Amino acid sequence: MILNYLSLSIILFCLGILGVISRRNVFTVFMAIELMLNAANLAFVTLARLHESMDGHVLALMVMAVAAAEAALALAVVILLHKHKGKLDTNVFSLLKG
Amino acid sequence: MTSTLLFFGFGLLSVLGALGLILFKHPMNGAMSFVVTLISLAGLYALLSAKLIFAIQLIVYAGAIMSLILFIIMFLNIQESDLPVETGRWFFLAGGIAVIAPIAILLLKAIKSLPGGDTVIVGGEFGGVKGVGLLLFKDWLLPFEIVSILLLVALVGAVVLAGKRGVNE
Repeated sequence: MILNYLSLSIILFCLGILGVISRRNVFTVFMAIELMLNAANLAFVTLARLHESMDGHVLALMVMAVAAAEAALALAVVILLHKHKGKLDTNVFSLLKG
Repeated sequence: MTSTLLFFGFGLLSVLGALGLILFKHPMNGAMSFVVTLISLAGLYALLSAKLIFAIQLIVYAGAIMSLILFIIMFLNIQESDLPVETGRWFFLAGGIAVIAPIAILLLKAIKSLPGGDTVIVGGEFGGVKGVGLLLFKDWLLPFEIVSILLLVALVGAVVLAGKRGVNE
């Protein structure tokens, strides 16, 4: 039964990678990254349950705090991008490409 | 038996929500279906007897972070014409599946070697506020403080980035 949870975590992580690869909308790419963080959280909590130690729960808490910080910064960058270019396309972010 | 049924229900809902996130064109629809994924993940945490993580997933993730994202999406007032044209979407999706699928199959086979276990609900301190809190403030004190500094830096950075009131130009 534990293995089913891990399989679900792998499937969700792969869906997140597919979202990052295939989409060009900034919001969708951002939420796909959040989906990958959530899949990692599910693996942490599952393995914590398997070993009956709570370190995985603490790590999941840390991941959630990092995700909150990331959300605040990424949304600020998206607002700046929309203010300057008026677009939501990730290709606009190619300013460093020679 | 009930927990198996609940697992398959929540798992199906979370996969469907994730599929909706990567297939819907408008980010608002994607965000709403991502909320379904987050809530069903909270249900899975409850099935794994992680009571504190269950509550925090609902409050922080499905509550705070997603309402922040939805607020920004509504704030920018995105029309259909503002969305980027994604002509190569299915092409990239097929290429991504071709690259990811072997790795996913390898991982799915690799976890078969782990010792399986039953997921009966563990009572007592496991996963509760007291147990996790004691562990957090004893063994994980330094990472906890580093995360608090990270949150402070992110707060200042967000204010500096988005808080300009048209001073330049």
